[in-house]
Amino acid sequence: MKKYVLKRILQFLITMLIVSVLIFVMVRLSRTDPLAAIVGGKQTTPEILAQLKTKFGLDKPVVAQYFSWIGGFLHGDLGMSFKYQAPVSGLLTARLPVTLGLVFFASIIAMVVAIPLGVVAARHKDSPFDVISSVICLVLAGTPPFLMSLIFILFLARFFPSYPFTGSFETVPQYLLRMLAPSIALSFTMIALSFRMMRSNMIEQMQAQYTMTGKAKGLPPKVISWRHNFRNAIIPVLSVASIQFGSLIVGSVLVETVFSLSGLGTLLIDSIKASDYAVEQDIMMLLVALFLIISLVVDLLYALIDPRIRLK
Amino acid sequence: MGASKKKSYGRFFTVPVVISLSILIFLLLCIIFAPFITKTDPNALDLLNVLKGPSKEHLLGTDKTGRDIFTRILYGGRTSLLSALGVVMISVVIGIPTGLISGYYGGKVDMILMRICDVVVSFPALLLAFIFVAAFGRGLGNAVLALGIVYVPMLAKLTRSLMLVEKNKTYVEAAYSIGYSDRKIIFHEIFPNCLPTILVELTLDLGYAILDLASMSFLGLGVQPPTSDWGYMLEENRAFLTTSPLMAISPGIVIIVFVVCLNVFVDGVEMYSDPSRRRMPSMKKLKKRMELIEHA
Repeated sequence: MKKYVLKRILQFLITMLIVSVLIFVMVRLSRTDPLAAIVGGKQTTPEILAQLKTKFGLDKPVVAQYFSWIGGFLHGDLGMSFKYQAPVSGLLTARLPVTLGLVFFASIIAMVVAIPLGVVAARHKDSPFDVISSVICLVLAGTPPFLMSLIFILFLARFFPSYPFTGSFETVPQYLLRMLAPSIALSFTMIALSFRMMRSNMIEQMQAQYTMTGKAKGLPPKVISWRHNFRNAIIPVLSVASIQFGSLIVGSVLVETVFSLSGLGTLLIDSIKASDYAVEQDIMMLLVALFLIISLVVDLLYALIDPRIRLK
Repeated sequence: MGASKKKSYGRFFTVPVVISLSILIFLLLCIIFAPFITKTDPNALDLLNVLKGPSKEHLLGTDKTGRDIFTRILYGGRTSLLSALGVVMISVVIGIPTGLISGYYGGKVDMILMRICDVVVSFPALLLAFIFVAAFGRGLGNAVLALGIVYVPMLAKLTRSLMLVEKNKTYVEAAYSIGYSDRKIIFHEIFPNCLPTILVELTLDLGYAILDLASMSFLGLGVQPPTSDWGYMLEENRAFLTTSPLMAISPGIVIIVFVVCLNVFVDGVEMYSDPSRRRMPSMKKLKKRMELIEHA
């Protein structure tokens, strides 16, 4: 177990290193001059440009720029935004609750809805409930999150005209209410995929030999399904959910745009359009790190539950 | 041939397959023959007829510059489908040889190629595409290229796993003992046997590519105006969502219908290729068949 954990953590660190270099290089391949992004169309003199270059560390060699960026990143110093001329960390902390909240609430909603539905659908295979929920999930799986959000807004505007789509939020209840609709809209894709997987795993487990033994011993079907089949069926669903986490992170970029929430996603797209290097690389690094940390944690938990993995 | 097919249990043309396939063919025909269906130019501005509701001349109404929505959906389908096809082609050109070589040779080559794939997979899918677009600039070409590269690892890993199964079979040994070159063994002997599974995966990828491209165009990183594309149309008309919902949402409905039909069709193909999942004829029909066999 110890060996597996160490190996997995080492693998994580190496991946982070490669990813950071990749992000740094890709951002710098952009053909737009970063100075143009800093100046933003205002008139300048060569002296001011030189001053700005030193201020943002663009006069240093590229390798030194990389190390000062990654060193700062690890210490929580995220550099200065070109466009806003302000520390990136300030920009991010204001927006972090939106994106993290969206991803967190959406995954909770998805799990709470999809897992019980999947079990019930599997237990009553080919019943009207199973057919209808399977068809709905098929349609949801083919709907990108931004489209789901648009349809959802249409629905809310028709039936709940008082729902607050815009404006800021100060208190926690306001924040939760504002996050509710986008989180639901974001969760649909994950609901569809988790439901389908939960259902097919459950059906597979219900046909396994041990289920037959349970039936022969006279266990009630409910006990077999929920206590025995369910435990075996849910593990792969949770591990796939950790991969889907990545698509939730990207999905939140789209949902934020539609619901005009100022989160990391909208900031990322703006910074890409404005060639704002510092913001681009910090957000991308943060999102990839979030994704990798989640999959690391899930892998380790998985190894804890399933001895076949850690002994391999 | 026809008679023997009829007798085999389980059919390919189940109800969902027939419905999805006919909708797909219908949509494809409409998109291909767009100039014969509508005579309007998709980019023609008509400032006298702005934001009109559905009518005989404009089946789905017009947008904020008076362009016909129906025409733009048809022509936008060309952009969306062709660029999705481009994404899949790029992933095929890079992914399949990578997977085949990686699986066939194994060892160091395999390790290096798979580690590269692991790095690509460590990005949430669309995020990597965003990074590519940040590096090489916005636009449809770059979005297609970026997504194509994002799709490579999945395809490479699938091809590699198929190769690992195939390469230990006797026919490969036979080909080797006759003295065939590695290239001939990989591409002429083994590859055709991997093809059915790969084709199913590619059809699924096509659906994903349509969705991902729509997402990128929606964010303004893909198609640039005035080209019409399903994703970009949604962005263009988003402001009129509550005032004229049909106009704003119709490109989205076309996306959903197309992708869902594609998924249903692939599901049907997969079901057929795995006999244990094949849809059986009803008990009534089976009994009738039994009777026929007994009488004969």
